Order: sequence, then C-alpha cells, then structure tokens
Amino acid sequence: MPQLNYAPTKTNLLKLKADLSFAQQGYELLDQKRNILIIELLSLVDQTVDHQSRVERALAEAYKALEEAVFDMGKLKVQYLTGAVNMNTDITVKSRRVMGVSLPVVETVFTERSPYFSPMGTTFWIDSALQSFKEALNLLGKLSELKISVLRLANEVKRTIRKVNALEKIAIPDLRDTLHYIQGRLEENERDMFTLMKMVKRNLDAKRQRARETSRG
Amino acid sequence: MKYAILGDEDTVLGFEMVGVSGRVVRDADEAQSAFATLLEDKEVGIVIITERVAEMMRATVDRYLFTMSFPLIVEIPDRTGTLPGKPGIREMVNAAIGIRV
Repeated sequence: MPQLNYAPTKTNLLKLKADLSFAQQGYELLDQKRNILIIELLSLVDQTVDHQSRVERALAEAYKALEEAVFDMGKLKVQYLTGAVNMNTDITVKSRRVMGVSLPVVETVFTERSPYFSPMGTTFWIDSALQSFKEALNLLGKLSELKISVLRLANEVKRTIRKVNALEKIAIPDLRDTLHYIQGRLEENERDMFTLMKMVKRNLDAKRQRARETSRG
Repeated sequence: MKYAILGDEDTVLGFEMVGVSGRVVRDADEAQSAFATLLEDKEVGIVIITERVAEMMRATVDRYLFTMSFPLIVEIPDRTGTLPGKPGIREMVNAAIGIRV
C-alpha cells in the first residue's frame, strides 16, 4: 500500500482530511467537465464529418471545372481572368468558450460585384468553376471552425481524462491509505496512553497504601 | 479578415478566382517561409492549405491547430484527391480520447 510520508499526528490527520475532501471535490468537478466535453465533442464530430464530405465533393467539382476551363482557354488566360473577378470574402472570427476551451466561430460574407470580364470569349467552365469554388470556400469557413473545435476539444478531453484518472487512481487512494494509517496509529497511541495511565495509577495507589501501612505500623 | 491559400499551382489558381490571395509553394522551405509571411499579416483569419503542403510542415500546422487562436488552419485535398492513409477526423478523436464514437 503506497503511503504518503506524514508523521502520525493529529495536525496531519486534520490536514489530510481537508486534502482528501478537496481531492474528491476536484474529482467530481473534473468528471463533470469530462462528460460535458465529450457530449460537446460527439455532437461536433458528426457535423464535421458531414461538412468534410461536402467540402470534398464541392472541391472535386471545382477542380474538374477549373481543369476544363484551363483546357479550353489555356492557363495563362485563366490566370488573367482571376484578376478580373471582382469578389471579396470577408470573415469574422469570434470565439466561444466551452469549459475553458476557446473555440472559434467563423462567419463568411461574400460581397460580389459583377466581374470585370465579359462572358463573351470565356468558356462556360469558368463560370462553373467560379461557382463551385465559391461554394467550397463558403463551406470551408464552417469546416475550419468545426475541425479546429473538434481537435481542441479532443485535446482538452484527453487532458481532463488524465487528470481524472490521476485523482481517481492515485491521489485519492493514497490519501485514504495515509489517513487510515494515521488514524490507526493515533488510536494505538491512545490505547498505549490509557494503559500507561492505568499502570501509573495502580503504582501510585500501591505506594500510597504502603505509606499508610508504615505510618500506622 | 480574409482567407489565404497555400498550395500547388492549380489549387491556388482556383481560389484566386474567388478573390482569395494565395502563394504557390513547392517544397518545405517555401512552405515555411510563405506561412511565416502569412502570420505577419494580421488580416489573415483562415489559412487554407492543401494536405500535401500541410504534410511538409506538419509540426507547425499541428501547433497552430491545437493551441494558437490565430490564424485558423484548414486542410483541403488537392486536385488529386485526399492523401491516402490520412486518418479521418473520427479516428483522430478516437485516438485522442480512447473511446469509440
């Protein structure tokens, strides 16, 4: 049985009792924290997987459209066109906190004005690629939010589990054992003292008796 | 704030079409230096990065994913699709918390 190194005194007993109740409180809180984090994590994981597949589909479409556009017009021309697209994406990143973990919240706003190029002389694929990339970008904002939230939450869950286990499996049992030991020792001492007192009393009585007998005799 | 993209030529070209400024990177050194310049730009809120490029600087990417608040990083497959053998988000979570989801 592992024990902490404490002298078996009353002061230490009281101190360890306080420590134990503190550790138990901490354990309960961390356990709750772990549960809340896991619930949050599970709900996010499903969303993330869903989003991920949507992003992948959108991107695959976008790449294909871009490839066709490049085939039709040549890379150079497509590159020129990129300068002529008049589109702005603006994102705001806020953060929310779950159990002390800060998670990002992303909003994407598109401001789209008509492009500077004319549809004449450009292939239909350009338009299609544009649309797909726009959609992908829109989804990407949300995906980054979800993914990073999931990763950070998972990390925090891992840390919390470690703390919970340390308390449950090591700190609390050790404290209990030590308490038990100190309590035993204290009781033992008490019994020792008790018998010692008894003996002293008996000796004193005997002495007194003898003194009385000699004075009488 | 805005997006920024690091990736191969085609990916960057595609995202530039929708107004995202990008840097084409070919090797690990270029990736590192491009990422460093992006960090200096306080307007960059989200860095889109292709999986291939992310692999080139895994340590840095992971550090930003897990701890730093800015910028956010999101990995995307490039033109050739998802890298084989890359663990999905579900597996990563399972590994992290040691329970089945």
